[in-house]
Amino acid sequence: MRASTDTAREAVGNRRFPVMPRFAPSRRVRESVTPYLLFLPAAILLFFFVFGMINGILQGFGIAPFLDMYDFTLDYYAQAFAESELLDSILFSLYLATVATLGSVVLAIALSAAICKVGAGRTLRLFSLQVPMMVAHAVVVLSLITLFSSSGLLSRILFALGIISETGDMPSILGATNGWGILLAYFWREVPFIAFCTITIMAHVGDRYGEAAATLGANQIKTFFTVTLPLCKHAIIKAALVVFTYVFGSYEVAALLGPTMPKALPVLAYYEFKMVDITNRCFAMALNGITIAICMLVVIIYFVILRRERRAAAWEQGADADTTQRP
Amino acid sequence: MGTRRRRRHNTASVIFIVLYLVCIFLPLSMVFVWSFTDLWPWPNILPQEFSLRAYERIFSVRSGFFSTLLLTITIGIATSLLTVLVATMAARTLVHHAFRGREAFRFGTILPFLVPQTVFAMGIQVLFFKIGLANTVLGVVIAHSVVALPYAVSIMVDVTAAAGTHLEEQARALGATNLRMFRFVTMPALLPGILSAAVMSYIISIGNYFVTLLIGGGKVSTVMLTMFPFLTSDDRAISGVYVVSFLVLSLVVFLIFELILSRLGVREQKSLFT
Repeated sequence: MRASTDTAREAVGNRRFPVMPRFAPSRRVRESVTPYLLFLPAAILLFFFVFGMINGILQGFGIAPFLDMYDFTLDYYAQAFAESELLDSILFSLYLATVATLGSVVLAIALSAAICKVGAGRTLRLFSLQVPMMVAHAVVVLSLITLFSSSGLLSRILFALGIISETGDMPSILGATNGWGILLAYFWREVPFIAFCTITIMAHVGDRYGEAAATLGANQIKTFFTVTLPLCKHAIIKAALVVFTYVFGSYEVAALLGPTMPKALPVLAYYEFKMVDITNRCFAMALNGITIAICMLVVIIYFVILRRERRAAAWEQGADADTTQRP
Repeated sequence: MGTRRRRRHNTASVIFIVLYLVCIFLPLSMVFVWSFTDLWPWPNILPQEFSLRAYERIFSVRSGFFSTLLLTITIGIATSLLTVLVATMAARTLVHHAFRGREAFRFGTILPFLVPQTVFAMGIQVLFFKIGLANTVLGVVIAHSVVALPYAVSIMVDVTAAAGTHLEEQARALGATNLRMFRFVTMPALLPGILSAAVMSYIISIGNYFVTLLIGGGKVSTVMLTMFPFLTSDDRAISGVYVVSFLVLSLVVFLIFELILSRLGVREQKSLFT
């Protein structure tokens, strides 16, 4: 396929320059350099990212040239795992990321199924999925505070119902150690995100196979779980992994709504990072190293899935190309 | 029987969607109401007095909020232009060229999806200090572009692959110059993707707190940076006004682009990750 387009391009290109031989070599050089030139700006941006990552990892092992520290050490990691406060932070972040991801996935599947079912148009999708995706996490936090803080709308309603008599009676929802406030904020923000990534394929699958299954007498709910959902699986998993790494490593929500003990891992890392004693940075970087390790584990899972999916997509594309080439 | 059952499912779906929309928009509208509130003591369910006090205070000339707004928009648009340009070029190589190291580059473009930005920001700060980009607007724009790049690339790869090269080849066969081909063939085909990627990058830029804080060092003060400390303060009218102005910055831009897209008669964007 590619070979044929290349020859075609060459044939077409020649027409503009009848005196071919002079242009041929430079053209070949140009063709081989072009992809790298086009990628160069992206490579520069990615260099910053990779540099930041590797610099952080090295500092976690005690190698920080700007502090004149050059000796490899595992002390900071040993310390991180030894102190119970840090272990609590790691577990707390894992808990937050896992529950936020699983909860969002379940709700998002229900939501996109409902939207497909109703056959909602562009406007509803716009306001139910895309608009919430555009809202920053910090905004969600303030919204939740107005509802669930000790003087929020909920506590006013509970007072009106005679359940509580002063703001102190209101159970703490937002700063609680079970992280409910943080989870609520992430549900608000990530459910539309996952649904957005899922809904197109779900609508497509539903149209194509749902009818067939229904004609064959299959129960709708059964059809959904045995036909539609497995076909959407990859899209859902990919979105879920992005959500997981995001929740695991993001600062804002956990800093605003988290309990003072245990702190989420990124919050603790930043707390150590901005300490006056600059060697605390190495400690912060060790915490970041743990974050990277856990996210990398997720990356490996992601790539196993991606490769499997790309193989399936290539197969499907081949089939499509066959049908389009037919006269 | 069959139709009745289907209708029951439909009712359940409608109820679910309505509940969902309430959960999404009730909290947002609470913030909106708070921003206009002068007096709303506990335990009143409705506000006692409305006023524009908070708006007047924040938008007074002395507060300097206008320059904050302007700076935020500038950074957002600059990030968006830079990211989209870079992503469009990168997507073109990833889709249309076979070259050594393509898979490594592809992996590189999704890496910022997978490693949290907090890690990136803390690690890169030293380098940005060394090369003089720390505490500068340019530094913040570059850092934001790094964060927005994977989103923009995945959108652009999608659109570039869908556009294909058939039309370009035809244009070239008909003798079009590179410039004219780009203007009349390539660009129109990529336009919907370019617009989506631009909006995405803009939104990521103006909503970013942590990277802006570390790279801007508190000296580059965007709306997000200004409002962050107020979010947990007791004066909810003030934090409400900040959030409302922030929402206007993000949603107005988003809805304008949506309108342009539907004017162009573009199909809905398929997804972020295909």
